[in-house]
Amino acid sequence: MISEKKQMQDLACFGGGRLFAEPKSTSNLVQPDFDSFMRYSRQFFDRQHYTNNGNLVKLLEKRLAEFHDARFCIACCSGFWGLVLAMSTLALKGKSEIIMPSLTYRRMADIAAWARLKPRFCEVDPNTLAPTRQSVGECINAKTALILGVHPIVNCCDIDGIVSLGKEHSIPVLFDSVESVYESSSNGKVGRFGDAECFSMHASKLLNGFEGGYVTTNNAELAHRLALLRTYGFEGQDNCIIPGGLNAKLNEIHAAMALANLDEMDQQVVKNRQRYRQYQAGLSGMAGIRLLEFDESLGTSYKNIVVELLDVWPLKRDETVTVLNAENILARAYYSPPLHHKEMSYPYIPAKLEMTDYLARRFMLLPCGDFVTCDDIDRIVQIMKFINLHGLGIAHRLAANEVGAS
Amino acid sequence: MKSPDFALLGGMPVFAKSLPVGQLYFPSWGRYEAAMRGIFERRYYTNQGPLVQQLEERLQDYLGVKHAICVTNATIGLMMAAEALELKGKVVLPSFTFIASAQSLSWTCIEPVFCDVDPLTHQLAIDKLDALMDEHVTGIMGVNLWGGACDPVALEKYAHARDLKVYFDSAHAFGCVVDNTNIANFGSIEVFSFHATKVLNATEGGCLCTNDDELAARLRNIRSSYGAGKPVPVVKTSNGRMSEAQAAIALLSLEDFPQNQQNNEMLFRKYEERLEPIPGIKLVKPAGVTFSNYQYVVCEIDESSFGLSRDSLIAVLKAENVNARRYFYPGTHRNIGYRDGLAGVAGSLPVTDHLCASCLQLPVGAMVDGDAVDAICEIIDRSRRDAPLLKSFFAGHGK
Repeated sequence: MISEKKQMQDLACFGGGRLFAEPKSTSNLVQPDFDSFMRYSRQFFDRQHYTNNGNLVKLLEKRLAEFHDARFCIACCSGFWGLVLAMSTLALKGKSEIIMPSLTYRRMADIAAWARLKPRFCEVDPNTLAPTRQSVGECINAKTALILGVHPIVNCCDIDGIVSLGKEHSIPVLFDSVESVYESSSNGKVGRFGDAECFSMHASKLLNGFEGGYVTTNNAELAHRLALLRTYGFEGQDNCIIPGGLNAKLNEIHAAMALANLDEMDQQVVKNRQRYRQYQAGLSGMAGIRLLEFDESLGTSYKNIVVELLDVWPLKRDETVTVLNAENILARAYYSPPLHHKEMSYPYIPAKLEMTDYLARRFMLLPCGDFVTCDDIDRIVQIMKFINLHGLGIAHRLAANEVGAS
Repeated sequence: MKSPDFALLGGMPVFAKSLPVGQLYFPSWGRYEAAMRGIFERRYYTNQGPLVQQLEERLQDYLGVKHAICVTNATIGLMMAAEALELKGKVVLPSFTFIASAQSLSWTCIEPVFCDVDPLTHQLAIDKLDALMDEHVTGIMGVNLWGGACDPVALEKYAHARDLKVYFDSAHAFGCVVDNTNIANFGSIEVFSFHATKVLNATEGGCLCTNDDELAARLRNIRSSYGAGKPVPVVKTSNGRMSEAQAAIALLSLEDFPQNQQNNEMLFRKYEERLEPIPGIKLVKPAGVTFSNYQYVVCEIDESSFGLSRDSLIAVLKAENVNARRYFYPGTHRNIGYRDGLAGVAGSLPVTDHLCASCLQLPVGAMVDGDAVDAICEIIDRSRRDAPLLKSFFAGHGK
């Protein structure tokens, strides 16, 4: 393939044309067969039952519980509120702190605040980008109410280590498995570990349900409580049996979308693998950049494309993102800034996390999902090569532009 | 009339299929399909997409309000409102409301203080507010019930005189007008519900209306980073986004609102005409508005003159496949989570307690037509006439 950018001024950030007319994002935005979605829709339409634990929600919950090899699944209006409900239900009474990594979803501390828990941020492992038994263990104290194990964007965290740690200290363990719907560990599929696991069905995720989320668990009592809480605490009409409820119901249209996409998930993963292979081939041997590899010995979705920019890469990560964004390649910094550097107006434990700070400067996500073809990936790889080749010049010019602008 | 005619006593139910009480208006299959096809063609599913933007603009135009901010449901909308208003300590609200009004406060660490309501209109009794005021009260949540209004002008005046914030749970009030002003324009924020049982249906959904630019910016920043507009500091974000699918249904529902409102009003008038001559049942008319959506048909049953209790009448109706329901029941102040610590004030909300024991909600909306209303009213009338017979049945069944 011939590079479309011949010289530096061809870059969109310096006034050249954009490489892509339509944005190429890191969101999945996968679309099921329209007729399949409409066939599911017909079910709620004919029953004139549009929400309030409808048949499609029940069917989706059954299918997802089977998919994850978990006993129960509770669908919610979003992963956000599913996490809030799971946290507030699982947290040990009389304890105040939740242990979570800082290198994670930018709203995670807000989620903890809604659950009235104080985040204590733990370190992550540089190889997995995930919390470990040791890094979580260092944070456990008399006030710990809950451990949030968070799977990174590629592969899984140390499930066994964190679960056994929780057991030893009698502290419940919740997994944020939003990026790990399709993943497996050596002990089975993600979705059956710890006390519960939370997932998202936001359009950007592997399972697109417009908006939505769900919690899986093997604990019957917890499943019952969560199902009550997402519907104001009601058991039947007019019968509120537990406090702390709200409306976190999933509607039937969103459930129809999720079901149609769930039916096609295996085909989606085949396409994801093709995209991943294209990146793998294109980026292999390129100096200064390392593609995070999926552990293919276990089940994986091949969805997210994460690269590390090594010391020899000529631009800073944020400069690279700027250059790519200008081309309509909506690359994103990986969880940056990390949570412990964000301003928080609610209680939290200040932390000094050198490894997290170091890692938060190095990784970025590249486009993936339904809008990205293998040809697009070739063009993205070409521009990465171009940046690598002209890196120093680009850096100087970016710096000059900045000075000029200020 | 012979006893077996009542389904409860072994007769055939009047309705073959269960009639729910909610509005449940929904577009035709063809319009639904076209709307969903549009979303699939655009491949834009959520995050303040083109349909949500269009819905917000249309709502602003229709309601005559500066900002309409669409959300995933009204409960989360009320939680966002309490966050954006930075309410603290205590907030006063009526107990005679759906439990979510109080739950939105509990989620934002605010203590709800329950006020009684007016026995005629069922709306917040402003004259009972004084007794509840103390230095911890920072706001008042007015609740506009039954397609009527709780005198928002007087409530605003009361709150402003005491430097309190005032906002409204208007889950029942979409489209209502108070003296030429659409109800979306009162207080700091008005929160509407677009739940399937409401006159404007998004399956689940809602919107927050305000004329205050700063508050609107805060609400948008709390909702999500998508469509946040001007970045302003907020304590914490929520996920309150409305999807494109929800917005598509709401847009069609908004198009249909004039005819759905007319249908509700026609049905309401029919209930009015048919129930008026029946002793012991009183239809509650939307109070304090010059235009109502008529989305609720709520009646009070006076057991002594009707001859049957409210609960007995509901049992009779349910057997006929009319899913009439107690609403609201029990009063929020008697619900789990709110009744503790109220031992000392038990009985302090006599009107609420009375209404919770005597009100029932009857079907109105897409599921009923004029004939159905006739048939429902006929069952009610028969129940009154055959009250002694039914009473002996209930006595025999330990009710």
